[in-house]
Amino acid sequence: MTIYLPAGWTPARAAGRSKVGFSQCTTLEPWRVQFNKDIQAEAKNHPDIDLIITDGQDKTEKQVADCDNLIVQQVNVLLVSPKESAGLTGVVEKAIDAKIPVIVLDRNVDTKRITQFIGGDNVAIGKAAGEHAVKLLGGPGKAAGNVVEIWGGMGTQPAHDRHDGFHAFTDKEPGIKYLLNNQSGDWKQDKAYDIMTTALRNNEKIDMVYGHNDPMAYGAYLAAKDAGRDKDIKFIIGIDGLPDEGVTWVSKGQLTATFLYATPGAEGLRQAAKLLKGEKLKPVITLPTMLITKENASEILKKNG
Amino acid sequence: MKALFRLLSRTKLYWGLLLICLIGAVVSPHTSSGHNIFLSYGNLTDVLRQVSITGLVATGMTMVILLGGIDLSVGSVMGFSTVICAMLLTKPGWTSASVLGVPAAILVSGAAVALAARFVFAGLARGRDVSAGRRREISLTHWQRTGIPGLLGLAAAIAIGWWTMGQVPAKFGVLGVLVIAPCLAMVLGGINGLLIVAGRLQPFIATLAMMVSALGIARLTAGSDNAVVPVYTGTNATEAFELLRSMLWGVLPVPSVFFLAAICLFGAILRFTTFGRYAYAIGGNIEAAKLSGIKVAQVQLTAYLLSSLLAGIAGVLFVAQYRQGKPDAGTGLELDAIAAVVIGGTSLMGGRGGLAGTFVGVLIFGLLSDILQLQNIDSNVQLVMKGLIIVCTVLVQEQNLGQLVARWRFRRSGEAQADPRTAEPHRPPSAAKAEFAREDLDEAS
Repeated sequence: MTIYLPAGWTPARAAGRSKVGFSQCTTLEPWRVQFNKDIQAEAKNHPDIDLIITDGQDKTEKQVADCDNLIVQQVNVLLVSPKESAGLTGVVEKAIDAKIPVIVLDRNVDTKRITQFIGGDNVAIGKAAGEHAVKLLGGPGKAAGNVVEIWGGMGTQPAHDRHDGFHAFTDKEPGIKYLLNNQSGDWKQDKAYDIMTTALRNNEKIDMVYGHNDPMAYGAYLAAKDAGRDKDIKFIIGIDGLPDEGVTWVSKGQLTATFLYATPGAEGLRQAAKLLKGEKLKPVITLPTMLITKENASEILKKNG
Repeated sequence: MKALFRLLSRTKLYWGLLLICLIGAVVSPHTSSGHNIFLSYGNLTDVLRQVSITGLVATGMTMVILLGGIDLSVGSVMGFSTVICAMLLTKPGWTSASVLGVPAAILVSGAAVALAARFVFAGLARGRDVSAGRRREISLTHWQRTGIPGLLGLAAAIAIGWWTMGQVPAKFGVLGVLVIAPCLAMVLGGINGLLIVAGRLQPFIATLAMMVSALGIARLTAGSDNAVVPVYTGTNATEAFELLRSMLWGVLPVPSVFFLAAICLFGAILRFTTFGRYAYAIGGNIEAAKLSGIKVAQVQLTAYLLSSLLAGIAGVLFVAQYRQGKPDAGTGLELDAIAAVVIGGTSLMGGRGGLAGTFVGVLIFGLLSDILQLQNIDSNVQLVMKGLIIVCTVLVQEQNLGQLVARWRFRRSGEAQADPRTAEPHRPPSAAKAEFAREDLDEAS
């Protein structure tokens, strides 16, 4: 009769199991779907952990309510992947005040009191993409070509980081020209398709497309293919490297390269398990990126089954 | 002179379209060989292709708005249709789509042609009556009422059956998907209509509920852990599906053929059939329509069904174009469609407007996007400019701008220091003149 037990004495704890709550901000994007798959797959390796996943449905207020709910359920560790920093800061602090350790994933919150932050480094990935682009266009000092850059959401930090990182390398090359001025594909394949259609109409020579994520790069590829110009545009670069998307497209030769933006799902749960065993955590873990080209794409696909 | 002014004022939407084309042509960038990109054939067909999805949805939306309703669910319904379509293409359902689709296509097309023929005959009979200036009801003979439409429907069914027989088997599936996905979308529209007609919910509420729940239904259909249903991974279906993205006889993009056909078909239905006449009557005054014996519920239900049908077809075209089905494919589309309808001069109060206006409205919106994109203007600035365009067009449309300017001129000339309310009983000549001008404008609409 659990209801007569004192607060905090839940059956899960009685059986020596622990509860980990994970507040995901949306599942409407493939990357987020993969994120959830990763954390669920990792949870199978920890039979003593009960994982609760909530879906914020792309709304800050829904995600805050989700977190409140998880706090009320007295989870042992709270994992949060915020929709936006400011909106989630309050509820994260509330969890810490309630003595629940918080691990923040992918996007950070505006407080230093969290237990750990795990995420990829978008600037570093953008730089890696820029370096690779310069190499493909003729090497440092000699690189030349017309580049189309399709932005993710204009108001989101990852898009700006991926833009800044890329330009840190390519801006040094006088031969590289940019054809589009801040055109946002909103992370979506269909919007990128339409932008690219017009760009193709407007420019007779396009050498490279840099999409802030794989679906947009693929949308640009489709537009070029429909216009019969996919052979002229040699280099289409994306970011994310999901097995079903970017890696598949790269292995088929539709995209030249993509850069892995690993989801912090598996790592997040591993760290939570460590914490539950009483280990101390590093304050920040940065996930590494990886260049995916035709050479290693099929290997990665095999590894993912 | 006055006649010319009236003509200009009555057709100002078309002049607006022409003006936009002119601006586009003047400011357009050129290719290195000196060709104007905006006026190039490829660009103009691109615009037509890009507006077709919004256009199809706006066509349905026009009919709903004419009836004094609104359909907020079209975006989600379209998302649902893209998911169904993509799943039929990629899952084993493709084969069953072929098997089910062909008979379904034949049945539906036959019935549709028969129904349309009946409507047209009924409309023509009444139309002749009006032009004769007599108020005599010409009743249809039995042959006209059922015989000719039946024969036409049969002919259409045979023609479509003949055509499909001649195609390679894979193409059956295209037809199947084109029927099945919109039909399932229509089920959602039917629920909308029933909620409004039988449940007496306000259209805004009923379709708002459907907008939310259809997104959920779409996500559940896709499998709740799938954000996107891709169509690109090795199906023979994608090859056959290319048809829906290609150019018809190398001239018109196929999506825009659907859009143009929908505009013509439903434009004719609104103009020549009893359904159309009833729609205007209900939108104008629903009480009067009820009292004069119009079957209001039937007409309303039909409008919501048609709206979701067109959203469903738009969904199939979306999948063909972008090679993916996704539940949130149409998010925000309902607002684009409403904007196009409003730019086209259809009143949100219902009873006034039409599909010709919507067609121009959709084109104006599409051409503007194209011009802004060709100018390579920042995405955020584009959003602001589109908002401005909606406001300006409607101001001109509704003639509020004319009134504003008239009042301003009025003040400037210093003839009207007096408050108009106190001036009313005296009626100074200038005020009377201004009012006359305003009446003139109203009359011209």
